[in-house]
Amino acid sequence: MNLNLKENTTERNRVLWGTVAFVALLIALTVSIKGSTGLQWILSGLTVGSIYSLVAIGFSIIYASTRVINFAQGEFSMLGGLLLYSLCTKAGLPVPVGFLLAVIIVTLIGAGFERTAIHHLRGQSVITMIIVTIGFSIFLRAIALWSWGSNPLPIASFSGDKSVRFLGASLVPQNLWVFGFTAVMVILVFLFFNRTLVGKGMRAAAANPDAASMVGVSTSMSSLIAWALAAAIGAAAGIIIAPITMPSYGIGTMLGLKGFTAAVLGGLGNAPGAVVGGLVLGVLEKVAGGALPQGYSGYTDALAFLILILVLLLRPQGLLGKPEGIKV
Amino acid sequence: MPGPTVSYRNLLVVAAFIFLLPIWARLVPGSALHFDIVNLMVLAGIYAFAVIGLNLLVGYAGQVSLGHAAFFGIGAYTTAILCTRFAWFPTWLGVLFGALLAGVAGLLIGIPVLRLKGNYLAIATLAFGEISYIFFRQSGITGGTVGITRIPPFSMFGFSFDSDLRFFFLVWICVMVLMLLTINIIQSRVGRALRALHSSEVAADAMGVNTGRYKTKAFVLSAVFAGLGGALFAHFQRYINPESFMLTISILFLTMVVIGGMGNIWGALVGAISLTFLPEVIRALPQWIPGLPEGLANFNNYVLVLYGLLLMVFMIFMPQGMTVGLARGVSYGEMQAKRLKDRIRARKFSRGE
Repeated sequence: MNLNLKENTTERNRVLWGTVAFVALLIALTVSIKGSTGLQWILSGLTVGSIYSLVAIGFSIIYASTRVINFAQGEFSMLGGLLLYSLCTKAGLPVPVGFLLAVIIVTLIGAGFERTAIHHLRGQSVITMIIVTIGFSIFLRAIALWSWGSNPLPIASFSGDKSVRFLGASLVPQNLWVFGFTAVMVILVFLFFNRTLVGKGMRAAAANPDAASMVGVSTSMSSLIAWALAAAIGAAAGIIIAPITMPSYGIGTMLGLKGFTAAVLGGLGNAPGAVVGGLVLGVLEKVAGGALPQGYSGYTDALAFLILILVLLLRPQGLLGKPEGIKV
Repeated sequence: MPGPTVSYRNLLVVAAFIFLLPIWARLVPGSALHFDIVNLMVLAGIYAFAVIGLNLLVGYAGQVSLGHAAFFGIGAYTTAILCTRFAWFPTWLGVLFGALLAGVAGLLIGIPVLRLKGNYLAIATLAFGEISYIFFRQSGITGGTVGITRIPPFSMFGFSFDSDLRFFFLVWICVMVLMLLTINIIQSRVGRALRALHSSEVAADAMGVNTGRYKTKAFVLSAVFAGLGGALFAHFQRYINPESFMLTISILFLTMVVIGGMGNIWGALVGAISLTFLPEVIRALPQWIPGLPEGLANFNNYVLVLYGLLLMVFMIFMPQGMTVGLARGVSYGEMQAKRLKDRIRARKFSRGE
């Protein structure tokens, strides 16, 4: 949610186009050197990148409306995937029904947490908020471990595993599902925040809570909607990637941290930035993982965190964000 | 603010209580409790090193860190590598080197990162912690996921601290010395500067406090404390692997600070001891009640559920931590007692007694 509409956009555009050019160059180099293997890296990078984007959007929505970093965001995705396993693979429900039910359950969990904890902790210190969301993530992970065990659970792809050849690289239908779904979600989020009264009210509440409540926007309500929405998007992301990564109780942590890096990379609280950040991070990771010599690929996880530190130090507002002023 | 004499007296009382613990532990047979008090107290003491330092940073200077497990790890790996590669290497020197290296790392990471505030600082320190963890896990020198085994026990002047009880005294004497040091720091000019920048960095800056410098000092000091704790941890466990230095541990340290009570000297000890014991107590609970059905008696499944739940409940009801929360509870109780006494007196008066 980029809130300031009249800001000077030239510098931001320069950074954005610089990033796009850099990624394009990286892709071109990878493909020309490695051929179809390189293309394979790029495609799988875009796939995980899409998921990072969705997780990052969740972070951004919550951060913009409540200034809370939700350390349980990855757990929403984990729950989504595991619920899909129970509803579809175990109980035999059709995928669309299971999808909808899983998203609804996770949304209720997110909204319930907002009402029981976040709502009462308004104005508490950053540390308190960090610990309460960490407590929530530990709680959800423990519940998942208890109910589903620790093994990764196999989930059938939505429309078969017959791979399509694409310029020498293979593409499974689930990849297409991920791309298409991410695009639809991003458009829906954009429409919600720019075309609906509720969404516009939430942007107003994020920009200036006092002024917004004076014109009748309920900040409490917008915080609730933000949490519910972030939980729903997170769950959907976890479901759509489930056939590729196989969900287990522990996937939330890494997914959360990566999505969070993507959100900071794009500019915390900035939804379009979150998408760019996620895709860039996904591609960088897969290319680095492929290009690093054997035995060093374990270091690729460090790449995200290195980027995180560098972005914070050099451009804390992220690629697309506007700088936050210093408050006394 | 309490005067120095009060704090020193409190320190003596706390020390007396803690050093008498092993005797009490002897009186209660271990099988009745289902956990080993002395062993857990050693671990709590080791964690207390890191928590005392982190409390200085978080509670007094108001700077969040989600990466202190890295300094704990640097301390542990430094002494472990030195003492296993070179058999002649004195363990006390290894521990010293560990603390020193953690301090250097704290300085190098603190200078750039401490320009950030609040959420952003938390994120940056978290990223540093994760990078260190990945390094511990992947690097050859740290032994990868297996870690380092056969670390010699801590010894000094030919005396080897090779039992839980010996280590207990070593660790807790060191903790008391650190506490003394911390009390002095807090009551000095540095402590005042840290508190000033906690309440308002801009105001502190305007009053001539070099905020950047003091923040770095607090950060380095907390890194050294954590490194010291980590180094002793390595010699206590006798083996280390990356799992002991994960994000979870950074979170544990921060939680210990917050649950104990931020900016309360005793909070660090309260937090470290209570959170070290909490999972073990939860695990042991069903064993205290005889004749429980098999499903309920296996409490391992619930430990994490309860832990996460307790963290949330604590933050919602006692965001200022246990020391403040309990103090408030006590004063509330006192107030109620006084009110009751007044009411009784008033009734007696109206009856003309």
